[in-house]
Amino acid sequence: MRQLPSLLLLLVLSACVFASSDYHEQLVLKPLHPSLLLASFNFQSKTSWASFEQQNFRYFPRSLGQILQHANTRELHLRFSLGRWDAESWGARPWGGTREGGTGVELWAWVEADTDEEAEGRWLTLTNALSGLFCASLNFIDSTRTTRPVMSFQPAEQYSNSSSENLHLLHGTLPREVVCTENLTPFLKLLPCKGKAGISSLLDGHKLFDASWQSMSIDVTPVCVPGTSECQLQITHTIDMVLDIQRSKRPRDNPIPRPVANEDLKCDTSKPYHSHDTCYPLDTSAQEEDWSLSQIFGHSMKGSCPLANDGTDQVCINVPHARNVFASSGAAEHKDESGYSRCYEVPADQDFELALPQQEISEKVPIEQPLLYAERSFIGYGQERGGVQAILTNPSLIDAVDFVYMESLPWFMKLYLHTLKAKISNGNGKSSKDDVIQEMYYQPALDRKRGTQLEVRILIPANSTVILTYDFEKAILRYTEYPPDANRGFDIAPAVITIGNDISIRTTTLLLPLPTPDFSMPYNVIILTSTVMALGFGSVLNLLVRRFVGVDEAEKWDLRAIRFKVAAMVAALVRKFRRRRDHTE
Amino acid sequence: MSIDRRKAALFGAAAAVRLLLFTSPGLPDLLTGRVEISTPVTSFKRLQEGLFLYNHNVSPYNGGVYHQAPLLLTLFSLIPSPATYPVFTNLLYISVDLSSAIALMQIAESGESGSSRLYTSPRREKRWSSVAVAAAFLFNPFTIATCVGRPTSVFTTCAILHAIAKAVNGATFHSMLAISLASYLSMYPLLLLPPLALLCYDRQKSTKRIESLVKFTAGSTTVVTGSLFVLLQMSYLITGSWEFVASTYGVQLLLPDLTPNVGLWWYFFVEMFDSFRNFFLGVFWLHLSSYVGGLTIRIRTQPLFVLTMVFGVFAIFKPYPSISDASIFLAMLPLYRHVFPLMKYTFVESSIVLYATFLGPAFYYLWIYAGSGNANFFYAITLVWSLGWSLLLADVLFAVLRDEWEVERPEMKGKEIIQI
Repeated sequence: MRQLPSLLLLLVLSACVFASSDYHEQLVLKPLHPSLLLASFNFQSKTSWASFEQQNFRYFPRSLGQILQHANTRELHLRFSLGRWDAESWGARPWGGTREGGTGVELWAWVEADTDEEAEGRWLTLTNALSGLFCASLNFIDSTRTTRPVMSFQPAEQYSNSSSENLHLLHGTLPREVVCTENLTPFLKLLPCKGKAGISSLLDGHKLFDASWQSMSIDVTPVCVPGTSECQLQITHTIDMVLDIQRSKRPRDNPIPRPVANEDLKCDTSKPYHSHDTCYPLDTSAQEEDWSLSQIFGHSMKGSCPLANDGTDQVCINVPHARNVFASSGAAEHKDESGYSRCYEVPADQDFELALPQQEISEKVPIEQPLLYAERSFIGYGQERGGVQAILTNPSLIDAVDFVYMESLPWFMKLYLHTLKAKISNGNGKSSKDDVIQEMYYQPALDRKRGTQLEVRILIPANSTVILTYDFEKAILRYTEYPPDANRGFDIAPAVITIGNDISIRTTTLLLPLPTPDFSMPYNVIILTSTVMALGFGSVLNLLVRRFVGVDEAEKWDLRAIRFKVAAMVAALVRKFRRRRDHTE
Repeated sequence: MSIDRRKAALFGAAAAVRLLLFTSPGLPDLLTGRVEISTPVTSFKRLQEGLFLYNHNVSPYNGGVYHQAPLLLTLFSLIPSPATYPVFTNLLYISVDLSSAIALMQIAESGESGSSRLYTSPRREKRWSSVAVAAAFLFNPFTIATCVGRPTSVFTTCAILHAIAKAVNGATFHSMLAISLASYLSMYPLLLLPPLALLCYDRQKSTKRIESLVKFTAGSTTVVTGSLFVLLQMSYLITGSWEFVASTYGVQLLLPDLTPNVGLWWYFFVEMFDSFRNFFLGVFWLHLSSYVGGLTIRIRTQPLFVLTMVFGVFAIFKPYPSISDASIFLAMLPLYRHVFPLMKYTFVESSIVLYATFLGPAFYYLWIYAGSGNANFFYAITLVWSLGWSLLLADVLFAVLRDEWEVERPEMKGKEIIQI
């Protein structure tokens, strides 16, 4: 009887624990055209503030949690990305672009600190600790690669005024960082099921880094119930990848592409020149490729993660209902009413397999059109100066788009802001130089201390294109500031375009070649320059210090004079020797 | 009357040539972009950037692009923007060039180069007229290119030449004001103070002479210090903080910007390892300043020549030299026409300078644009350029010293001499 209240208490406590920290994961598969597959892995878990502060970690990874506590970070967003999202063929970005970053590593966080210097110190702690946790060179995000965006990033929670004063937003990018398997492994270790069960068991470095575009992201955000001070900390891990189906189907032990055998070629037989030795490739966009999970990811999914017990279906696939999809037995299928999605509940103990056979199907899932197309490139030539051109297109025929364009440039690209021009031309071909720039925030670069930060708010009317251009000058760096492959160039972080609160678009990175000195010559340069300076100084000094005499008045130092002198010296020595001999005798 | 007509014709022709070049499409911007003309501390494009930031309430000194004096911002805010009405900027630069030529003519007319207070050259009759000296300055291709490229070093040149002109006319106070303005704009004219003070002392008007040299120099130094203080205070009021000091004078001292130019410093400090930077910066500045003392003491009798020599030293060994420094040296050189026969290597020197002038832009193009040459090509040309000017410097120094020596040994005229 006495045990009953404690038992009840235990039950209540466990229910509270279960209610306050939950975990769910989902994989969304979406075929893109042609023969590409967007796989979106999403893992989300929550923990209450109380358990976070008491270091009671259940679904929230302890290593990351302790780093956040140590660096006083309220909100964290970390991104590892590779590849390029082809917006014209693939449509709008997954999650609206909010779960991806620029090529390389991108990190932004809201850090609690009283002063700017303290915030910089905490940011340094954060980057160094994350660098160790993720095996990435995040410690290279120093003051030259950090900016404090003003208009671009909004915190997930609108904090009350009192607490937002000591919150500092710091944003750092490392476009040169190559993301690879050593970054995936710690990422998987942060998950509750650690890549052993559930959808995370599909993640394999060989397939992930073979993708046309991939992005791994971690978002730690506080989620507060409005009106109360009850807050939870939510961590979302997302891995998105666009896999090329044909390339992924290549077996792992035979990755070298070999020419397809003659019989296996898919030829367009309607062409007049079709014969046994001439083949025009058949347009297979009307035909859907056949693929299965184990072909794409290398193995089938190892059941479901037992910790994800909140009843959401773990695997969803966005294909028309008419498409044939075969799932392994034991998985319950739920079709969505919209006609384009179906989800599977994966059994806990069985392997899950999904297979789609080849099928001729004309119905396609409609591609969501992105709000804005953005591309950025260098203009100009030579290694002295250049220009940057950003082409921003609004495809919509009715809506204008209001966005913030943010550039974070290194200090050795010396920006000339007075050359910034925005030209607008609408779809009918008319062009004008109206003021499209509504607001601008600019912080110039300081050599070797700080990069350039430029944020521009632009309103682009419907069906128009804005072309932003500006000039810059390239600096020549010191011998030790060049990377080992100096002639490759320097990576320039992508421009971040923020539309409202929930859409974010990034351009590609740029490669900036800088003029290089001759790296084999430091000693030679020093001695040659010193020689020239010594010649100049020496000749002037000689003229100032010495006095003039006529040529015949000076002591002669030619050969006859020297012979005379030497003969005189020898004669004097011989005489002395003879005198001494006479003396002793 | 005829001299005035010649003067007017000269100035008119010079202004016409410059106006013609200013209106030719693309040439001013091409010359503004050339590294031989524009340096990070004098570039016109950076001045435009500084103006833009200043007009938009962003401090131009909080960035790494603009490294020029704040009063230039005020000056250029008074005239319409160069982008919309370039004619006002062009007229400003042409008038600065003509003003420098007027100052040069005053220096030539005074005859100080031939006979100073303590020394009179036996050869002084062989001299060029002041109009010829001004023509040599105004039609020098270096001067014209400097004017069309619009670097702000032309203001320093004008201030220095006016300081010397006022000194030869005996107006010590105005001379000191002008040299402090020049020092405020670029830092190095401060090194011209000792020979300039001596020149002022020598050419004092007989009405109110100060006999004691020590008292005179103390007075002049006070004037320079006072006017510099006033100029710096005005700059503080314009920009609102003292950060312009680190951004203008600190840049010349510490060389953070390593943009190629015709000097020796940039490549040396590109290839220098970090731990030795400060030592070699100190050595280079010490080297530059060491010429002034020795020259002033040895050639006390001809302070105008000391000034000419120091201009030559600046053209070679300054942190950010350009052809405008070479043009001020070439401006003062025709004043010593009387010692030209004593120079030994004029052909070699002029060939070297011409060689470097033509090959420099070619090798720069090969390095930066064509990519088929590397930085060593352009670096070698800067070495040749420096060697050519040092040879000229040593040669003209030898000529003046021999001229001085022949006053005490007139029988050695025409004979060979050596130094011991």
